Amino acid sequence: MTPTRQLGMYQDGYIIMWLLTLVAFIIFGKGIYDRYKLWKLGVPEDRKNTASFSRFLINSFGHLRLLKDLYPGIIHWLIFWGFVVFAIGTGSLVLEEDFGLPIFRGTYYLVLSLALDLFGIGAIIGVGLALWRRYATKPERLDNKPEDAISLGVILALLITGFLLEGLRIAFKGDPWATWTPIGNFISTWFAGADPNTLSVVHQVIWWIHALLTFGLIAYIPHSKMFHILTGSLNQYLAKDKAAQSITPLNLEDESIEQFGVAQIEQFTWKQLMDGDACIRCGRCQDNCPAHLTGKPLSPKKFTQDLKNHLSLTGPLLLNKKEDEEVSKSIVPEVIQEDEIWACTTCRSCEEQCPMFVEHVPKVVDLRRNMVMMESEFPQEAQLAFRGMENNGNPWNIGWKSRADWANDLEVPQLSDEANVEYLFWPGCSGAFDNRNKKVTTAVVGLLKKAGVSFGILGIEEKCCGDSARRLGNEYLYQTLVQENVETLNGYGVKKIITTCPHCLNTLKNEYPQFGGNFQVIHHSEFLSQLVSEGKLKPQQSTDAVCTYHDSCYLGRYNDIYAEPRAVVGSIPGLRMQEMERNQTKGFCCGAGGGRMWLEEHIGERINNNRTEQALQTGANLIVTACPFCLTMLEDGTKAKDVIETVKTKDLAEILWESVQ
Amino acid sequence: MKIAVLMKQTFDTETKISLDAKGQIDSTGVNYVVNPYCEFAVEEALRIKERLGAGEVVVLSIGSEQVESALRTCLAMGADRGVLVNDPALEGGDEYTTAQVLAKALQKEDYDIILAGFQAVDDGSGQVGPRIAELLNIPQVTIVTKLELADGKAVATREIDDGVELIEVPLPALFTAQQGLAEPRYPSMKGIMQSKKKPIDRLTLADLGVSAEGVGANGAKVSIAALSLPAPRQAGKIVGGEPAEAAVELVKLLRTEAKII
Repeated sequence: MTPTRQLGMYQDGYIIMWLLTLVAFIIFGKGIYDRYKLWKLGVPEDRKNTASFSRFLINSFGHLRLLKDLYPGIIHWLIFWGFVVFAIGTGSLVLEEDFGLPIFRGTYYLVLSLALDLFGIGAIIGVGLALWRRYATKPERLDNKPEDAISLGVILALLITGFLLEGLRIAFKGDPWATWTPIGNFISTWFAGADPNTLSVVHQVIWWIHALLTFGLIAYIPHSKMFHILTGSLNQYLAKDKAAQSITPLNLEDESIEQFGVAQIEQFTWKQLMDGDACIRCGRCQDNCPAHLTGKPLSPKKFTQDLKNHLSLTGPLLLNKKEDEEVSKSIVPEVIQEDEIWACTTCRSCEEQCPMFVEHVPKVVDLRRNMVMMESEFPQEAQLAFRGMENNGNPWNIGWKSRADWANDLEVPQLSDEANVEYLFWPGCSGAFDNRNKKVTTAVVGLLKKAGVSFGILGIEEKCCGDSARRLGNEYLYQTLVQENVETLNGYGVKKIITTCPHCLNTLKNEYPQFGGNFQVIHHSEFLSQLVSEGKLKPQQSTDAVCTYHDSCYLGRYNDIYAEPRAVVGSIPGLRMQEMERNQTKGFCCGAGGGRMWLEEHIGERINNNRTEQALQTGANLIVTACPFCLTMLEDGTKAKDVIETVKTKDLAEILWESVQ
Repeated sequence: MKIAVLMKQTFDTETKISLDAKGQIDSTGVNYVVNPYCEFAVEEALRIKERLGAGEVVVLSIGSEQVESALRTCLAMGADRGVLVNDPALEGGDEYTTAQVLAKALQKEDYDIILAGFQAVDDGSGQVGPRIAELLNIPQVTIVTKLELADGKAVATREIDDGVELIEVPLPALFTAQQGLAEPRYPSMKGIMQSKKKPIDRLTLADLGVSAEGVGANGAKVSIAALSLPAPRQAGKIVGGEPAEAAVELVKLLRTEAKII
């Protein structure tokens, strides 16, 4: 006898069942179409080149990002795979019963039955843990809404009724293959000896409840957080890897364009609008947001949800508006507060943690662009930085002629004298003007010379890379600086650039190609680690210290450079490394990214002090950085914590330079 | 309300001044900006117009075509149009000749308010505004930090030693701006785009009916004999030893070396 189970028990009701199925799918389809219409309100954006099916597979079926936060990751894994196995089970059943395909039988049937039972009980455990976490332990990052309870409740009810049906069926119909459904088999013992007619009625009632729950769930999906099953997958597929790494340029030449940046919801792209529907309010973003964790009003989760809710309210009005009717309101400050958009350090942690690949940072930049270029309303301090960059090519507004003063006694070749060098060394504004960071520049020059590297500098011809201007929303200023730099660099035929600043690195490497600047850009940590591994630099002097390495966001999360700086630190004899709890992809911003270097920090705890505290908790007496902003911020942190005498903050080039002498 | 703003283009405030072989100020590679005090004046003019909800702000300057960029900056901030008096005969002028020419340019139209920076960051003479007011025979208040308008009159707050002075004058009048009058706005993209299309009238001496005899180097009352850079700052000196002896040594040094007592 071929293994299978009793099917087709309620054929009298099939017409009703199929009608209900139809109704459920109509509500489901209508819900999707309604949201789709709202997304289409956005500006067109081509995502063909960034779409990745493998990213979708790894992150949906593979749970790559979800499992980085293990406990909720496992909960989701259990529920997710429960769904997948049940979808296969239900599909097989439908094919057998309604399409006459002999599929729900034999070995396949037995294995599937076992899988259904095991994954079913797994899903029950998952839902149980989710309920416990959400309603008993209540982590700060979760906000509970009715849809959370409804979703979990319906799933749990489906699972429980499913097992009851199995147990009842075995009890009143008998099943020779019941050992392959151990949970159902166990439940059937509860009904041993009961009246078969009663069991049959109970079975029928529960069967209908189960069916109604299923249809309800299908209809509910696009109207609730369950929509993430579709939108999350779509977002994972359509995302742009490291979206904030290269901000989309604005066309400033076209005089017919009257709006720069985003003032109203429909000025976002359709993908940016869809992001809101992919967000499931898991809160991983805000759990890793330096602004949120230090008491600023910004939460990436709230930001995404506020935009989503605003779209839900305003979108239908926009769809039905008469011509020339003004229904959309200004996002800032009506939906998002000014303090929220200026609090962002563009550290990309939200994007990096988001399992749905929501792209938060470019939206913040788009809103800032509107505030700076259209409204001219932004923190006063930014104006000083903008003017400095405009007039003297550096945010400090120090006379541009003194840009190369740091090199006065160092005999560094300038490209204007000697253009025939292999590498251009680009110290950036900090490395050229800031007294503390000039020491780093000097150390790098010493190391490059010692290793016999052929290099030169642009000297006074170098200008600010523009990163801060762009991320503060001043695209006009950014493009002005880029054009001048690209002209100079291409004029000298520069091919390879070494820079000490991760902000320069990121924009030169990933954004300058938007403007005809194509260079191989190398961070000094990469270059120095290579020189050490090739034996061209030999660290010998021992340093007796416990150190911790602080990941720069623009080096780590933006450009995946985690190992090289650690390799440089690891090459120095005597240094003992103690990692901070938040490191690498979960590294915590120093507070200076996104142009925040130039702004005051009035609200909440200072981010740099918080990060310094984290560094001190490791017991380190040496904080190693690889970014001029981080160096300034963390050294300021040690001053604030009154430990500057005992805990030193240094760039890795400085400790390497001390060690090779 | 029609407001004129007198604007001078100057070296960027961070410029490191150096002299060329002929002893003249070397302008190679120098960035030019709107004189910061003139920027306060432009901002105040724009705020007055915005408060009243009507009016026109005209920015006037004197100099070569190079000045256009500074005028465009003012137009990007929101000024309505610019006037540039450009004539080769103006070369080598001083405060006296500049005031003569600008006064003529101002007389071409009827302004209710004339605003200017109280001084330029380059020569710091602070004369052009007051001279123009005298030439036009209108009241003036200099070094103004606050300006209030009502009923055809203006109450200007100006800085004096140890306090402020409030002066009421009838309009038209001329005011020169001190820091604190109005923090200049940052031009928006819209402003920058519009500024490219706003008009700048070019005037020559002939347009103003001024003869070349009395202006430029010909008419200047001041001639520059020579320019020199300030002596580089010397490193400080710490007088050591016992307090009593150190005090004696310090007094001696202040008298013989520093020659200040």
